[in-house]
Amino acid sequence: MPGETKHGMECSEFDALLLEALDDGGLSGIRKEAFEAHRRVCPVCGPMFTEVEAGKQWLRTLALERVEPPLHLVHNILAATSGVPSSRPLNVTAGGKTPVGERMRQWWDSFFSPTAAFVRQPRFVMSFGMIFFTFSLALNFAGVKASDMAKVDLRPTAVRHAYYDAQIKVVKYYDNIRFVYEIESKVRELKKANAPDESNTPQQKENRKNDTSGQPEQKQDRNYSREENETVLAGLTERLDEVVPCRQAARCELPGSSTLLAGTANQIDGGPVAKKVFAVMSEATNRRLV
Amino acid sequence: MEEAQVIGLLVRRCVGGDPAAWEEIVQRYHRRIYSLCYRFAGDSENAQDLTQEVFIKMYRTLKTYDAAKGAFMTWVTTITRNLLVDHFRKSKGDRLTDSLDTTSSDHEDAQPLSEQIADQGLAPDQAVRGREAREMVHFALQKLSPELREAVILRDLQDMDYREIATALRVPEGTVKSRINRGRAELARLLQRTYKQVI
Repeated sequence: MPGETKHGMECSEFDALLLEALDDGGLSGIRKEAFEAHRRVCPVCGPMFTEVEAGKQWLRTLALERVEPPLHLVHNILAATSGVPSSRPLNVTAGGKTPVGERMRQWWDSFFSPTAAFVRQPRFVMSFGMIFFTFSLALNFAGVKASDMAKVDLRPTAVRHAYYDAQIKVVKYYDNIRFVYEIESKVRELKKANAPDESNTPQQKENRKNDTSGQPEQKQDRNYSREENETVLAGLTERLDEVVPCRQAARCELPGSSTLLAGTANQIDGGPVAKKVFAVMSEATNRRLV
Repeated sequence: MEEAQVIGLLVRRCVGGDPAAWEEIVQRYHRRIYSLCYRFAGDSENAQDLTQEVFIKMYRTLKTYDAAKGAFMTWVTTITRNLLVDHFRKSKGDRLTDSLDTTSSDHEDAQPLSEQIADQGLAPDQAVRGREAREMVHFALQKLSPELREAVILRDLQDMDYREIATALRVPEGTVKSRINRGRAELARLLQRTYKQVI
């Protein structure tokens, strides 16, 4: 029992000497004999001595393992305290050398950084794969081969020239289109201005006499004028299949229209549409004069 | 120059506002403190957080350190120990020493602690030496109560003497010895039940 004296030593005294016997090089002399005798006899202290000794052995195996802190721990501590970054490189250990395994791990970690890990998600990988597959199919159907890419001149000067050529084409196309729309708007204005004069043709007067519908005359004139104009335009359209140049022919009724058209045609940079417009307008002018 | 003098000089320079001195202190002691926190907390993540907290507290209270009252390492260990105890009092992980036959839950048919350790799936002859054995001991160490755990860690893993431990834990030296004995015995009982053999 605890507190009982066995071989001249109490259990409490045995407990106090236990660490000294195990850690501090052991006991000696009479104290050692009494300690050993008590350990052999006492049913409590004997097993306890065995357990404490075993526990110490277990902990000794654990003490052999060196616990390595993370490499960034010092940097985190300095950032959280003084705020001054470490003057020592992150990947250098106390010995001044970085183990190969550690360097491999750092490389691996850097490759799988949070950003990379985000992109590496299966859904993104699947999306990238589908995009690649789609482009491959599209290029295959378009007849583009990988060998064709080798013929593409990717020199900076060649790319710059290609860019300027494309820009010139776009500017020319835009200018031509603008000119056509301007002419079209002018034709529309002239048509409105000439509409009352055209209503006084003999055929219209005859139609007006036969008209028993009771509709206002002005409206009828406008309709007849439109029909007559449409006839002219239709005739022109058959030749060029373009409504816009046909409408420009109306402008030929104005004095000096040929000179105007010739001048504007010269401004067009030899575009095919402008040449057609000019040709139609000249022909329409000649017909009217005849 | 002795270690104590070097540390005293570093502390004075650090209090004077020298960041290089503070970095030197961090470089000297972060490994030891991290190890202490890791053995006590049981996992690396908590150990990192606790180590940072220790150094933050050190940085704030460094001017209160008095070399005449004790070694710098004892002072650091005291700060660490107080933070560890506070941490485990706040967390639910704090508990008294588990008996071998008691269960961690209230259910009668729950596994005893010794069987929980044995569930690691390791044969005894393979686990006696090597990493698995150390992991088993580390795991069993977490089952000790904080009082016994800190005593055996400081003695057997940090290699501190009884007087330093008594100063750090603020308990009498006899209490330290008693806790070390009880801690070792409890650990051995846990592991003996695991391996079904007497070392």
